[in-house]
Amino acid sequence: MGRYRKPIQYAILAVVILIGGFAIGNSLFSKSVVLAKGDKPPIFRLVDLNSQVHDMTDYEGQPLIINFWGTFCPPCRNEMPALQHQYDKWKDRGLKLIGINLSEDRLTVQSFIRQIGVDFPILLDKDKQTERKYGLKQYPTTFFIAPSGEIQEVVIGGVLTEEEIEQRIERLIQSKS
Amino acid sequence: MFQNTKCECGHQNPVGTVLCESCGKPLDEALLKDEKALLEMRYDGVARRSQKANPHFVDRIWNFFSSVKIAVYLIVITLIGASLGTILQQESTLINLTERSEFAAYYKEQHGTFGVIYHALGLSRTYESWWFIGLLVMIGTSLVVCSLDRVLPLYRALSKQQIRKHMQFINRQHVVYSGELTEDKQAWLDRFAKELKRKHYRVLQEDGALLGEKNRFSRWGPYINHIGLIVFLLAVLGRSIPAWHMDQYLTLYEGETRQIPGTNYYIKNDKFTLDYYSEEELANNQKGTKVVKLYETKARLYECTDACNDLTQEPVLKEVKQHDIRVNSALTYDGLKIYQNSYMEKVRFISVHPTLKDVAGGSDIGSFDLRMDQPEAEYKLGDYTLKLIDYYPDFGLDEQTRPMTKSRDPNNPAFVFRITGPDVQDKGELHIYFAMPSEKSKYYESILNESFKQRGDSSGRFSIQVENPIVDGKMNNIEYSAFTTYLNIRMDKAMPYVWVGAAISMIGLIMGFYWQHRRIWVRIDGDSLSLGGHTNKNTYGLRADVAGALGKTGIAVDPKTLDNRRNVR
Repeated sequence: MGRYRKPIQYAILAVVILIGGFAIGNSLFSKSVVLAKGDKPPIFRLVDLNSQVHDMTDYEGQPLIINFWGTFCPPCRNEMPALQHQYDKWKDRGLKLIGINLSEDRLTVQSFIRQIGVDFPILLDKDKQTERKYGLKQYPTTFFIAPSGEIQEVVIGGVLTEEEIEQRIERLIQSKS
Repeated sequence: MFQNTKCECGHQNPVGTVLCESCGKPLDEALLKDEKALLEMRYDGVARRSQKANPHFVDRIWNFFSSVKIAVYLIVITLIGASLGTILQQESTLINLTERSEFAAYYKEQHGTFGVIYHALGLSRTYESWWFIGLLVMIGTSLVVCSLDRVLPLYRALSKQQIRKHMQFINRQHVVYSGELTEDKQAWLDRFAKELKRKHYRVLQEDGALLGEKNRFSRWGPYINHIGLIVFLLAVLGRSIPAWHMDQYLTLYEGETRQIPGTNYYIKNDKFTLDYYSEEELANNQKGTKVVKLYETKARLYECTDACNDLTQEPVLKEVKQHDIRVNSALTYDGLKIYQNSYMEKVRFISVHPTLKDVAGGSDIGSFDLRMDQPEAEYKLGDYTLKLIDYYPDFGLDEQTRPMTKSRDPNNPAFVFRITGPDVQDKGELHIYFAMPSEKSKYYESILNESFKQRGDSSGRFSIQVENPIVDGKMNNIEYSAFTTYLNIRMDKAMPYVWVGAAISMIGLIMGFYWQHRRIWVRIDGDSLSLGGHTNKNTYGLRADVAGALGKTGIAVDPKTLDNRRNVR
């Protein structure tokens, strides 16, 4: 090896650290799907009841509430009016609220929305793909996302009362991007 | 500090050389004095690493990984670690669980305290854990460093061998012969050379000295084996590239088409078949039991050709492959392999073909296909139009006794139609239709239709029902799925490289095991003939070669007497 000995040793060490580091790091930091405070929510791209496409990036820089719901889930149905009231109250302050339906028939969703009188965007998930991306285990699940793009809070299950929603919205609006 | 490494033969050796690279004379004073001791011929005595007073930290790392002892320790620890992963079922086989808490609960439930400890130590995911991968990385590094450290000096040593070796070199080999030679030197050497060539040795001669060498290529065997192992390990690492590896599961009921997540492909389950052996086919001790003969999914693979990412449209699909997937007979296409994994016996409505009747007039208006999944919004039957305004896949009543669906599966589908037509009131008539022919459903149907009538939304003249639901004992006008199949979808683009690595490794092993590198040095000084032989394995065979060649040239020796090791023992 002669005078190339040192460079060769360094080169081999560098390759080992790169490949080995990648391999070990991969297993050390494998992400679990459960989303928690501080995580970035997975991107979604879904169509709404008016056949408009909504992308995650449409809501960049704004406080966003994502409510995963279905007509088959009684607590989801029961908290819809509260969500609608809060949306009416805060939408002029910049709050964005979307409801992602859990892969039900368009017709079923449409008739329920009409009954309750919801006017915030309702997106239709297909083949449970988005709910799997978000690692949902229970319904309803509501994500409160700060303008900075990070999840500020995840509420799993239960019927959200107007006060509970309002408190969280206030926290969202206060946090700066 | 500076050793004089110039040999008496005139060759300048690098620091750390044990035997002169040219003539083979032992360079170390102590080694030179101990005339009876056998020579350490590893790597032909060439300097393997530079000995420095203060090794650089890179040298320290290098020396650590170039040690065979360390490599053996690494392999043993990896072996023990890998065996621990076989004690309990690993997490990667539990396909329904995803969260750490779920796994912890599973191991606690199934295996008690041992399970809790096993999971906490990370042994439930042994082969993906950081320490196991770390060990594999270290073994890989050791492979590279060990090989480089040894193969380069070895290649140098074997390429520039001198023919006439130092007397000590020859007399301290494992196979040695010394005796008197009375006849003509050159003639004898030529005869000896001829004998060796008959045994396929490559013979080189110099004035009064001879070198016969055979099968040098077998020395490279272990290094080629190591190259193969390195390729193998890198290929295994390649599986962690997302585009190169997929292992996911998809459930499909009969007739369902679903997209394979992460690809542009869609898979359809045409039919699932579950067959049992008949009584005659069963062995005597199994008669009376149910033994499965066949699990089969008739599947169709589609590729999306248009509107694939357009959410407002249905994707345009083109069929690319059809295959009857059975256990171990996968549907393969473009690197994708789709295997039969499991099934569930569960009846699921797909569609019905009901008829709209005018009860008051006593006639049938028409019949139509009604899907349970994403049903059509409008149905035209002659002059009448049915508009679907509400759909409950699994009809039930909520706490306020309002209609709702209990789940997303069509276990008890209910359809609310608005019927319009020439002799119907302007706002149309409401009618609710339950597809399931159960008593409770029919009860709901009649109650709700009655309430529509009370409200003035219906005249009660229409009815919807399936004609002749059972014909010859079979379901008629009703389509349903009897089974849901679980398919395992896999892709492993790194496999060809794994095979290549394994093949190279095998070639190296065969090269190293089935041939031996043999060398025979002869020198004649005056009347005395000195012969030394070396091989990396199978010294017995070398002795036989030497005795045979000597015997043909007139010197009869018993192979056992050639063994120099007896003298030292």
